[in-house]
Amino acid sequence: MISNQQNTSLPDPVIEIRSLQKSFGENLVLNDFNLSIKKGENVVVLGKSGCGKSVLIKCIIGLLDYDNGSIYVLGKQISDLNQHELDELRSRIGFVFQSSALYDSMTVRENLEFPLRRHGKHKTKKEINDLIAETLNNVGLFRAIDLMPSELSGGMRKRIGLARALILHPEIMLYDEPTTGLDPITAREIINLMLDVRKKYNTTSIIISHDMRCARLTADRLTVLMEGKNYVEGSYDKLKSIQDPNTHPFFE
Amino acid sequence: METPLSIKHPQPSKDRWIKILPTGLKSFLNETGGTARFAVRFFREAIFPPYEIKEVLRQAYDIGFRSLPLVSITAFIIGMVLTLQSRPTLLEFGAESLLPSMVGISLIREIGPVVTALICAGKIGSGIGAELGSMKVTEQIDAMEVSGTNPFKFIVVTRVISTTLTTPILIILGDAIALYGSFLAVNIKGAVSFTLFFKQVFESLEFSDLIPALIKTFFFGFAIGLIGCYKGYYSTKGTEGVGRSANSAVVIASLLVFIIDLIAVQITEFFGFL
Repeated sequence: MISNQQNTSLPDPVIEIRSLQKSFGENLVLNDFNLSIKKGENVVVLGKSGCGKSVLIKCIIGLLDYDNGSIYVLGKQISDLNQHELDELRSRIGFVFQSSALYDSMTVRENLEFPLRRHGKHKTKKEINDLIAETLNNVGLFRAIDLMPSELSGGMRKRIGLARALILHPEIMLYDEPTTGLDPITAREIINLMLDVRKKYNTTSIIISHDMRCARLTADRLTVLMEGKNYVEGSYDKLKSIQDPNTHPFFE
Repeated sequence: METPLSIKHPQPSKDRWIKILPTGLKSFLNETGGTARFAVRFFREAIFPPYEIKEVLRQAYDIGFRSLPLVSITAFIIGMVLTLQSRPTLLEFGAESLLPSMVGISLIREIGPVVTALICAGKIGSGIGAELGSMKVTEQIDAMEVSGTNPFKFIVVTRVISTTLTTPILIILGDAIALYGSFLAVNIKGAVSFTLFFKQVFESLEFSDLIPALIKTFFFGFAIGLIGCYKGYYSTKGTEGVGRSANSAVVIASLLVFIIDLIAVQITEFFGFL
């Protein structure tokens, strides 16, 4: 791995992004973006709407191909993986979608069963049921097990989306705007869940957000994405103290 | 100084020809090319394992069984109306006794398959277009991919196979119900027994009437499923795009039903079935 060759004294980064470029037609969304995340670290990526934050995590999980640069996740370069290897890697990553992305035609139980069955984790019916019950209890929604997604509120959908991402006990969590569109109380519940997840499963996380409360409570480090690059990086307090016209409005 | 050989003349390129085409034609060619590529991908993905048999059966139930009431009611009405409309004309020529044969041939060879396929294009095509469009804009397709599933195989292949297999069954059931409707209509102003009516219907039909009519129904089903999936899978522009996908799925699938029917008639004639 690149980092090993360069500095053997540091622990391997779980996610290493180098000079990432991604464009849609003539629109260059990511341009020379760099990020390195150590095990157990929570990094919040801040940025204006449409600046390419979601594109970044979709590149990390292989949902979008990138044009140039490299992304190493758990020691593997995403662009070098075949479909089977990519699926194997994805089973170690949990992705919480902005819209929750629950399967409308399936119950909550079936939504949680889906990644378990599809990732080929051979488990007995009892093991699957126990795992679903445990995960739903963790997000406090065991009572919703037989409901359809259309019967859930926005906050419940987010929590079930989080439960689905957690069911395989991933090493990395990618959160795409986890608190957007939620009232402050529900948003706080989701933030607490994210903190619990980190504590319980020792996950490494990238959180895409422009909710500053979420950033303050969850981030070890923040990076501001602007014009496709890391504009500035540091702790919440450090970034808050910088009097920069581009970053200061986030903290007002 | 540059030699004449170095003078650069603008070279005609493919792009130049594309640029001068009218917008409507360009979009038609784009759609046709896109659909053809989608169909090729369908066959490529459908041939190789894993096979999503359980999902195919679930979709067959969803698509087929839930369309049955609408298909049945429509077929019943078509059978009755066709009989009631044809009766006075046949009566003028003293050929009322030919009514079961005439209605039977019309329904089984042409009207039954086409009308049922159009109903399926409306109900199934729009349903698939809207469902997949909505899955696309709410990131469900991405979520499937992240969960180690090939979404094309799980969503598209299963639905196209299901429509290809269930549409013929719906059409056969629709034909049977339409004939029953016709039998009731005949009995409104006359008295023909159930056995006699159906004996006349089947005596007038030949093997060569049934096979081409049956074969084309598979193509109807395939076209309805494929267009619905194509439009939904590539749906864009949020909820507005979902509505547009559903709408264009119905329009294009209905048009394809007529085109396939026309081609089927030509092929049938060519092979001397008629």
